[in-house]
Amino acid sequence: MHALAGVNLTIERGEYVVILGHNGSGKSTLAQHLNTLLWPTQGAVWGKEWNTRDVKRTLDIRRTVGMVFQHPDNQIVATVVEEDVAFGPENLGIPREELLRRVDWSLEQVEMQAYRTRAPHQLSGGQKQRICIAGVLAMQPEVLVLDESTAMLDPQGRNEVLAIAHRLNREQGVTVVAVTHFMREAVDADRLIVMSEGRIVMDGPPRAIFQEREQLRQLHLDVPHVSALAAELHARFPGFPGNLLTVGEIVKEVKKWGAQYEVRNTQHEIRDTDFAAPDATRNTNH
Amino acid sequence: MSFELSRNIIIGQYIPGNTFVHRLDPRAKILVTLFLLFGISFTRSLIVSFVYLATMLVIVWSARVPLGFVLRPFVRGLPLILFFLGFSVLWLGWQEPAGIVFFQWGWIRITSNALLMAVLSLTRLISLLLLISLPTLTTPITQLTYGMESLLTPLGYVGLPVHDIAMIATISLRFVPILAEEMERVIKAQASRGGEIGALSWREPMQIGKAMLPLVVPLFVNAFRRAEEMAVAMEARCYVSGAGRTRFVQLHAHLIDYVVVVGMLCYVIAVWYGADLAFNAVLARFA
Ligand SMILES: Nc1ncnc2c1ncn2[C@@H]1O[C@H](COP(=O)(O)OP(=O)(O)OP(=O)(O)O)[C@@H](O)[C@H]1O
Ligand SMILES: [Mg+2]
Repeated sequence: MHALAGVNLTIERGEYVVILGHNGSGKSTLAQHLNTLLWPTQGAVWGKEWNTRDVKRTLDIRRTVGMVFQHPDNQIVATVVEEDVAFGPENLGIPREELLRRVDWSLEQVEMQAYRTRAPHQLSGGQKQRICIAGVLAMQPEVLVLDESTAMLDPQGRNEVLAIAHRLNREQGVTVVAVTHFMREAVDADRLIVMSEGRIVMDGPPRAIFQEREQLRQLHLDVPHVSALAAELHARFPGFPGNLLTVGEIVKEVKKWGAQYEVRNTQHEIRDTDFAAPDATRNTNH
Repeated sequence: MSFELSRNIIIGQYIPGNTFVHRLDPRAKILVTLFLLFGISFTRSLIVSFVYLATMLVIVWSARVPLGFVLRPFVRGLPLILFFLGFSVLWLGWQEPAGIVFFQWGWIRITSNALLMAVLSLTRLISLLLLISLPTLTTPITQLTYGMESLLTPLGYVGLPVHDIAMIATISLRFVPILAEEMERVIKAQASRGGEIGALSWREPMQIGKAMLPLVVPLFVNAFRRAEEMAVAMEARCYVSGAGRTRFVQLHAHLIDYVVVVGMLCYVIAVWYGADLAFNAVLARFA
């Protein structure tokens, strides 16, 4: 029995990758291989030009691949926010001047400067998770791995954290690998990886992956509501694109169709069934 | 036991302020506390213990710490303290030299020396309470940890893992509010299912014990899980025990800190040898 098997994966610099998969599919195991928290029993994991098996490179790899976990409370080491942010670079032996600069910079990146002298337990979940991200940023990583880092947060906290991850990806060129159960988060990724039973079963851009609704259903995964809606509309009106991902895209498309409808409207009556989504009736029955 | 545990936790109850006592280097505070602790604990002279009580009151006053707040545990424990004092007065009643015998009835004998011992214990107790409370009331607890680490550094050369000890202390302090919150949650969860921990008084130790068990077990299980996750998270942030770390927080001792440490050391020695002599000299003058 292997937690991971036959995984063959290259993540490019600057990518925003989201990993999906049901519980126990091996997402965390894969994530922890990326920064030497785990080693493969067979095969190899390379970070830049370093093999994770090379113990001399462990610290180099860990500072390059920063990792944020699910429970913020179990990652914050110090009793004062700024001291916690300093923890990583302290471990790396960064000289003090530079250390102070990095703490300032990291807190600024996550917009938590105002809280620097607070105790962690006085912060909200989202704020705590932002501190955890700052703590990783202070090591100036090139890759940010988020293992269900938004799972414990309310929608607002989740949006705060995601906004930061996307901004770092866009502006600082940080590669992001995010493990999540929220389909909403997957939509904004460059690339989706779907795991099952320790294997990578799907790999591609979100638009293509969310087209495969049947396969996803077999893997016990939902598709985002917007994709589902677009697919239903596509089934009903073949001319409607079935691969839409965002509310904005749907609105734009519907507006276009609305204009056509007004033309058709003058020609014949609209029947009720034109608007009934086939799945909606099916869902209410069981 | 109340539901609001986190509010009742005294450890590290820092009262922010900007007095001389607050500004003192944490290492100086720890050292002075140790000197005074030594002085107060080992004196057998009533005069000396009064001098220390007065000293402590002056320090508390100068730190602007409300006296009532510091003495609250003492006031709460007063019945128990008085009980033990009364007991020891009876016990010491038969010790020689007895001094003046005020009262004797059967095996009960109240002597002046026993009473003096009781007064000595009481003043000592109050002084110690004030002394022990002061550092945490006037210093953020992290500063104290760093102070402790810095003071213990020399012991690192003989193999004491000073840095690890400081790390453990910091993480423990970090977990205090978390575990308190968790405990509150567990108590509430038990209460909502009919557990009665909140309603029991300490007069029923067996029931308390029985009610505590389903409370302590999940707390421990959670604590272990947390500790494990914390260890992984620390490793992910390049933690390697001890060597080669730089420090974000740095303590700076000023001249005044040295003056205070040396001054207080001299003071303790002077009081130790001098207070009785001075007192007797004054008495002789008036006699
Ligand atoms: N320490 C361990 N020892 C043995 N088996 C483990 C260990 N950790 C995980 N596993 C197993 O490895 C497999 C993958 O676990 P992993 O934690 O990577 O899943 P996951 O996709 O992250 O799940 P989740 O969504 O619940 O976080 C599971 O079958 C799990 O039981
Ligand atoms: Mg996981």
